[in-house]
Amino acid sequence: MADDLDESGGFPFPMPSEEAVAMRDGSIESHPVGVPESYEEGKSTRWSAKAIADVHAMSQLGRYQLRGFNTFSRSMPTFDDLVFVPATMTRLPLEGYRESCETETVLGDRPGLVSEPIRLAIPIYIASMSFGALSANAKAALGYGASKAGTMTCTGEGGMLEDEREASKLLVYQITPSRYMLDLEHLRKADGIEIVTGQGAKPGTGGVLLGMKVSERVAKMRSLPLGVDQRSTVRHPDFLGADDLQVKIEELREATGYRVPIFVKVGATRPRYDVAIAAKAGADVIVVDGAEGGTGASPEILLDHTGIPTISAVRAAREALDECGMSGEVKLVLAGGIRNGVDAAKALALGADAIMIGTAALIALGCNSPRYFDSYAALGTAPGRCHHCHTGMCPVGITTQDPELEKRVDVAAAAERVARFLTAMTMEITLLAKSCGKSKVSNLEVEDLRALSLEASAFTGVSLAGIDRPYSW
Amino acid sequence: MKDLTVTVGDRPIRQVNAEIRDAVAAGRDVTVTDTKSRHNLAIGMDARANIRFEGSVGYYCGGLNCGARIQVERNAGWAVGEAMSSGEITVGGYAGMSAGTSMLGGLLHIKGNAGPRCGVAMKGGDIIVEGRIGYLSGFMAHAGRIIALEGAGDACADSLWGGEVWLAGPAKSLGVDTRLTEPSAEQVQEVEALLAERGLADSSRDWRKIVSAQRLWHFQSRDAKAWLMI
Repeated sequence: MADDLDESGGFPFPMPSEEAVAMRDGSIESHPVGVPESYEEGKSTRWSAKAIADVHAMSQLGRYQLRGFNTFSRSMPTFDDLVFVPATMTRLPLEGYRESCETETVLGDRPGLVSEPIRLAIPIYIASMSFGALSANAKAALGYGASKAGTMTCTGEGGMLEDEREASKLLVYQITPSRYMLDLEHLRKADGIEIVTGQGAKPGTGGVLLGMKVSERVAKMRSLPLGVDQRSTVRHPDFLGADDLQVKIEELREATGYRVPIFVKVGATRPRYDVAIAAKAGADVIVVDGAEGGTGASPEILLDHTGIPTISAVRAAREALDECGMSGEVKLVLAGGIRNGVDAAKALALGADAIMIGTAALIALGCNSPRYFDSYAALGTAPGRCHHCHTGMCPVGITTQDPELEKRVDVAAAAERVARFLTAMTMEITLLAKSCGKSKVSNLEVEDLRALSLEASAFTGVSLAGIDRPYSW
Repeated sequence: MKDLTVTVGDRPIRQVNAEIRDAVAAGRDVTVTDTKSRHNLAIGMDARANIRFEGSVGYYCGGLNCGARIQVERNAGWAVGEAMSSGEITVGGYAGMSAGTSMLGGLLHIKGNAGPRCGVAMKGGDIIVEGRIGYLSGFMAHAGRIIALEGAGDACADSLWGGEVWLAGPAKSLGVDTRLTEPSAEQVQEVEALLAERGLADSSRDWRKIVSAQRLWHFQSRDAKAWLMI
C-alpha cells in the first residue's frame, strides 16, 4: 500500500537504502530537513528575535522599555511609495538652472490679526526639541544653522534656553502641559507661540526625561529636583476642550499684544477632526506630527504602536482645512520622519504649507556620525544604528547633558552642517518643483504625484501610477 | 491722579484690556465695572498696575501676571493668576478650577473656596485659600506653597515634585506619594506671618504640612545601565 514505506510499490528496481534517500551528502547530521535558514535565524513570524528579547527584558525589569529615536515599526507606509510626475507635453517644466522657484513661506499671515507673521526663507524649519533632551551646544548649533538658512527653530518643552534665543533669529516658544519656565518675560521674547496638545512619537502621553539628563541647569529651568526621572503631565492644567482652547489662545494673544502667531501642535491620530477643532479655536498655524516623529525618550510601545503615519495624516489635515474654508488663512505644518528634500517636496504636494525636521536636523548636526567608536560600543551600538538618546550618553554630544560629551558638538561646524543640509533640502525641493513646472514651492499639488502602491493611494487619495485614478472604495 | 473706570459689558476684550493697559501706562489705578464674568481680563500686567474688578471674572483673569496688584471683588473662573511670576491677586469670593496654575512667584489670595486642581504644576510663590481647596490641588507642583485654612478635597498634593501644601483643616484624602509632616515652629511662624499680613492672624491653628514622599522622583529602575537593555 502507499503508506507502507518498505514496499517497492511497483518500482522496476529494488528499494533504495534509507541512507541514500536521506540525502546525507553535505547535509548536517542533526537537522537534515526543514527550511535551511530556520536553524540560523529562526523563522517564527510570531516569535522573532525582537519579540523574544522583549519578553526577556520585561520579565527581568518588570516594566515597559523606554528608548529614544523614532518608530521601528515596519508597517508604516512611506513617502517612497509616491513619485513625482514632472511636466512634459501637458505642462511646461521650468529651466532648472535658469528659472527661479520661490521658497519663501509665511506663517500667521491671515489678514488683519497678527502684526508680525513669521517669514521663513525656506519651507522647512527645525522641530521642537527641548533643552534637556538636547545639549545646550546642540540647541545653539541648530539655532545658528537655521538662522543662516533663513529659517526658525522651536524651544521644545524645557523652557527658553538663552543660548538658543541668542542663536535663533526666529524662535517658536512651546507651551506644554508641564509649563516649565513659562512666564510673561519669555513669552514676549518669542516670535511664535505653540500650544502642544500632543506629539507624533507618543500622542496621548507626556514627555519623559530620565534622571541622567536632569542636570543642574536642566533642573533649574524646569524647577525640578536634580536628577529625577521627569515624566511630564499630558493634559494641560488650565484647559480641557476646544472651547477652552479658544479662550487660552485669546489669552496668549492678549499677553503678546496680537504680535506673534499662535501655533497648535497635535500628534497625528484623528487629524481631520483635530485640525478642524484647532482651526476653529483660532490657531494661526497647525502643526501635525506623524507617528514617525522622533523623541528623546518614550515608552517603546508608543513609538511603534500609536499614531498614524505622516503621509496619511497630511491629506486629512488639508481636507479638514479646505472643508472649513480655512486653507490659506490657517497654515499647516507637517512633521514626522521627514528625511530629505524629496520627502519634504512630497509633503508640500500633499498639502503641507511648511515642513518641520527634527531627527534629520540632528543627523546633520552629527548624530550617528562615524566618530567616537568606543562611546558607541559602550552603549552596545555603532554609528548608523544608534538610538540611545534616552540614556544621556550620546556618543556625539547631542542628546546629553554630560559636559564632556557635550563638547563633542563643535557649535560652529555643526551649525554650518545644519545650514548646508537645509540649503540642500531646499534645492531638492526646488529641483522637483521646477521639473513639475512650479515657480513657487507652494504650488506643488497632489496632481504632481502618483502612487506606486494601492496602500499609498488609499491613504493619500493620490492617483495610482499609470491608471491615473486613486484607489477607491 | 484719579482712578480710571473701565466698563466691560459686551465690548471686545481686546479693547477693554487695551484701555486698562493705557491707564496703567499713564500711571492711573483702574476700576473695572460690569465685568460679566468675561474671560481673559488683565492678562500680562506689569508692576505699575493696580486693578480692581467690581464683580466676577471668567477664565485666566490676571494670567501671566508680572507684578500687578489685582483685586477681584467676587468670584473668578478657571485658572485665575495662571503663570504669574510676581504680583498679588486677591479674589473676594470663590475661585474655579486650576487657580494659580503653574505660578512661578507672587501671591494669590482667595477668600472663599478654590476649585479642583488649585496650584497644579505650580513652580513658586504662595497661594492662600481661606476656605477649602478642591480635589487634586497641588498636583505635580514643583515648588511654592499652597495654604488652605479650611482643608482640602480628595487626592490633596498628589504627585508633588516639590513645594508644600499647608492645611489648617481636614483633607478628604491625601494624594499618592505624599508625606504628612509636622511643621517646625519657625516654619509655622513664617506662614502665620504671611497670613497676618493679610489680616488672617490666628495662633490657634493646627497645621499639617504635606510634602513629596519622593517615591515618584525615580522610575522603578534607576540604574542607567538598565535603560540600555533595548
